[in-house]
Amino acid sequence: MSDTVAPKSFGDKLQSLPRTWLFLILLLAASVPLFVPIALPNAPSQSSEDFFANVMSLKAGDKVLVASDWTKSTRGESGGECEALLRMLIRKKIKIAMYSSGDPQAPQVFRDTIGEIAKDELDHGEAPYQQFQDYVVCGYFPNAEGTALGINNNLRGVFAGKKDSPPNGSPQDIFNSPVFQGVNSVSDFKYLIMITASNTERVTFERVKKTPLMFMVTGVMTPEDNVYYLSGQLKGLIGGVKGVFDLEQMMEKGLNVPGGVSAPRFGPVPGFPGKHNVGRGTSYYFALHACLALLILAIFAGNLGVWLSRRGARS
Amino acid sequence: MNYMVVRLGVSAILTFGLYSILYRENKFYRLCEHIFLGLASGWALVALWTDTLKSAWWDKMVGSTTDSGQMLTRGYWLYALLLPIGLMGYMVFSRKHNWMSRIPIGIIIGLYSGQQFQAWQNRYIPQISDTIRPVVPTVWSLRPETTGLTPDQVATIHSNVYISDALTNLIFVFTVISVLAYFLFSFETKSKVISGLSLCGRWLLMIGFGAIFGSTVMMRFTLLIDRMSFVFQDFLMHSLVPTLTHR
Amino acid sequence: MLHLLLDLDPPTFFNGDNGSPALILKIVLAFLVGIGLIFALMAAPLRLRRFIVVAVTFLSGLYYFLLWFFPAPISRGPTDAPNGPLESFSFLIADAVPSVVNVSNILSAVLIGLGIYSLLRIHLGRIVKQQKDWAFSLVLVVSLFTVAFFGYWDWIIRQGPTGGSLGAVPNDKWSFPLYAKDFFFEGFLQQMDSAMFSLIAFYILSAAYRAFRARSVEATILLLSALIVILASMGLIQSNWDNTIDATHIGFLKNIRLEDMRTWLNGTMQAASIRGLDFGVGVGLLAMALRLWLSLEPLGRES
Repeated sequence: MSDTVAPKSFGDKLQSLPRTWLFLILLLAASVPLFVPIALPNAPSQSSEDFFANVMSLKAGDKVLVASDWTKSTRGESGGECEALLRMLIRKKIKIAMYSSGDPQAPQVFRDTIGEIAKDELDHGEAPYQQFQDYVVCGYFPNAEGTALGINNNLRGVFAGKKDSPPNGSPQDIFNSPVFQGVNSVSDFKYLIMITASNTERVTFERVKKTPLMFMVTGVMTPEDNVYYLSGQLKGLIGGVKGVFDLEQMMEKGLNVPGGVSAPRFGPVPGFPGKHNVGRGTSYYFALHACLALLILAIFAGNLGVWLSRRGARS
Repeated sequence: MNYMVVRLGVSAILTFGLYSILYRENKFYRLCEHIFLGLASGWALVALWTDTLKSAWWDKMVGSTTDSGQMLTRGYWLYALLLPIGLMGYMVFSRKHNWMSRIPIGIIIGLYSGQQFQAWQNRYIPQISDTIRPVVPTVWSLRPETTGLTPDQVATIHSNVYISDALTNLIFVFTVISVLAYFLFSFETKSKVISGLSLCGRWLLMIGFGAIFGSTVMMRFTLLIDRMSFVFQDFLMHSLVPTLTHR
Repeated sequence: MLHLLLDLDPPTFFNGDNGSPALILKIVLAFLVGIGLIFALMAAPLRLRRFIVVAVTFLSGLYYFLLWFFPAPISRGPTDAPNGPLESFSFLIADAVPSVVNVSNILSAVLIGLGIYSLLRIHLGRIVKQQKDWAFSLVLVVSLFTVAFFGYWDWIIRQGPTGGSLGAVPNDKWSFPLYAKDFFFEGFLQQMDSAMFSLIAFYILSAAYRAFRARSVEATILLLSALIVILASMGLIQSNWDNTIDATHIGFLKNIRLEDMRTWLNGTMQAASIRGLDFGVGVGLLAMALRLWLSLEPLGRES
């Protein structure tokens, strides 16, 4: 046996790049493009178009039930989805009843997010959007399965006793809020829109049948939920940061209007041109390109290394 | 320095504290990890009362009043029984009586499993009917271009089954059946048709997994980008730098 | 149970005016009966224990099974009275939904507390015994109680007469406890949550680089499928590639546009394979639900 170690071939070197270097390059790929404002082309997916068209078809005073089951752990995707949705609903003066069955932190995260977005929209010239008058937070329900079934069968029974604070007042029964005026069943909400990063979306569509469902999910959940969108169980689906970018783009340009996104299935759906529509989707998309390019390069380098090493060994 | 700069600064430091694990295991990471665990549990303790038990249990048990002191709901004392039943769950730490912890868990599991029949129907029946697709064309030509048509004209085109649609539907149905065959006939079988179908199913399943992988990496990268955006944009560019330059 | 959640029901044996001595006495008695039940169960013989767990699980499951299976009136108005015993039973099942949901939420919340109790038990034990790294355990316990303390303080203030005017974002009306809660919840917890989850990106890149090899037919298909999804999601590449393909004269060329490939692959093969997978899971799910309900799984059995 020889004591000398054979020098590494190029193929071997390609397979054994130091992990720290990979991490550093990824850190750069995720950071530097954030400072490069580039307008990227994009073709919105059909499910995003449906989602946008359905939300835009709502009229002032309509009510939607929002299930917000995300926390800041998925802020990049769920946060972007929630913010874009809230901007649309606030501008269209839609009333929101929110509940969560995904995470104890979720109601507080929603309160903070809607507070920030409502303030930002107010600063940009929209009408005030106030707690209790325009939206209520119905709290956290730890048993997702029972809650979803109860919401379908007896919404008022499940939300009975919940309280929220009107502006300049102490907490009151949520049924005294204008949000719940005329709401006796879940079918009185135009949609149940769920923003989730957990399996509560499956629990919900397995049980809630009396109102149309639309989901905003993380990228990892998109392929699976797309199956339910295709079977018509969901009326719209926003998947991950690509979905957020789709939504922000349509909010700016509209559907089937001059200069807008073309979707022959719909009539003209104008967006909110010139308003504060740029959010996390638009801001992060270029950086995502860089990270994905790095991933493709890394996989290619690894495979090339294996191929070169094998060829070297054979020769 | 204002409150927001301090809050964001602390958050940025903690982010790098957690990222230090990428270099190697260290005490700063462990400190951050324990703070995180403690805070998450502590917040659960708050939210379980303020967002759940206060309204779902306490107010129902003792009743509630309006701001002016008038009675809004009567108290239902039977709710008091739920606390001892829930507390039976804590008997899991008792060597002698840990079986009692299965009573509250049994209630939750029983309620869950009782729902599954309805849930199964709601989840799978629409999918089964969507999988039964026409594989014979109604129009023997290729699907026409829809750009520039009205929604009604597009809907008319979509109501027909063109040759390409029939082929696509056939592939769809074959994929579902073969993947299902892979699952249901995972044991050894002598039938060449079933084993061939099962092999196809395995290959086709990889296409689905590929989509899941592609979406997963996009999600994970987005979360990292968001964090970098927080550190460099939210904290550094929009908070710290303006505060320092303003001074 | 029927009127358990309705506001201002007629007074019955099961309810009482809030704050009345009769109600307080009944609450205390019910609690004591519950505690008595725990002690009575402690003395239960071994055979009875299994029966109790199985019966509780089965009866709980039976409720939702009946809710789904038992014929319900097609359209029932709020003032409709049941017509006969069958319909009475149907009304009873339907009306009990909020109560059953409430019970499941309350029990789930108490059981989530079990996780916190377990964590505290381990770390307090470590501190008391001054075991290795007990200082970290101390940090955990202090963090837990700090956020709980300020969380409740914030909540109590918000329950006050001006609670609604305080707002969710920092403003002039905020006092120290509100800032403290915001600092620990937003500044610490939420940001660390986000950082913790974003760490996975590094490991996924590293793992893909080291392990994602086109060594077999399966791995190659997976790689190609993922590549199409990724490339089609990169608007810059997708748009440039698709624009180079001129399908005006040869319509078939449309099929090699990335967007068309992704849409077709997504709607036809990816969705179909995931659906096949889901059907497989569904069969298992139903079988598992049945086993759980009938306590055929070890979880529901007495060990």
